[in-house]
Amino acid sequence: MNNRIRELRARLDLSQLELAQRVGVRRETIVFLEKGKYNPSLRLAHDIARTFALPIEEVFCFDDGSRP
Amino acid sequence: MKKMILIFVICALLLVSLAVWALRGKVAGNALELLETGVIFILVGFAFFLGLSRVRSHLRKEPSEDEMSKRVMTKASSLAFYVSIYLWLFIMYISDRITLPTHSLIGAGIMGMALVFLFSWLYVKAAGMRNE
Repeated sequence: MNNRIRELRARLDLSQLELAQRVGVRRETIVFLEKGKYNPSLRLAHDIARTFALPIEEVFCFDDGSRP
Repeated sequence: MKKMILIFVICALLLVSLAVWALRGKVAGNALELLETGVIFILVGFAFFLGLSRVRSHLRKEPSEDEMSKRVMTKASSLAFYVSIYLWLFIMYISDRITLPTHSLIGAGIMGMALVFLFSWLYVKAAGMRNE
């Protein structure tokens, strides 16, 4: 799964800590998400997308090549 | 908050019991004892690190545990359990071939399980959890 969190965060001038506090997770989780090392739960994906005022599919997209 | 305190209490208990054991003069100073002491220090260091990261999160007004940290723990625990089965099989295999008291073998097994968990946790953290 790919995501645009880093790009959207920069656009809103949000730090990783601020985004983490807004969606109720640890900063480390945002770091892992941005590195693509962690796939969020549907709830977290929804909360992050809502923070950026975008639909989920514009923040997260599936890469077919990474299918397990 | 309770878990944070518990981690530091367990670390302190381990260090105190290690100090009591050393002060009572029952230390033989052989290689096995040095190895066991080293492993205990590694495990206490790991627990202390986990406790400190929770304190830092608490101070930054983040949750001390979130969905990712819980999933890391769950995955590391399941991996450690799987590997530990083979560790105990290995201990059973060597117990017939070496002369060590039963309590030493059990102690080595328990410390081995803790070490396996530490390495599983490090592996899961390094590899990440993609496509699960």
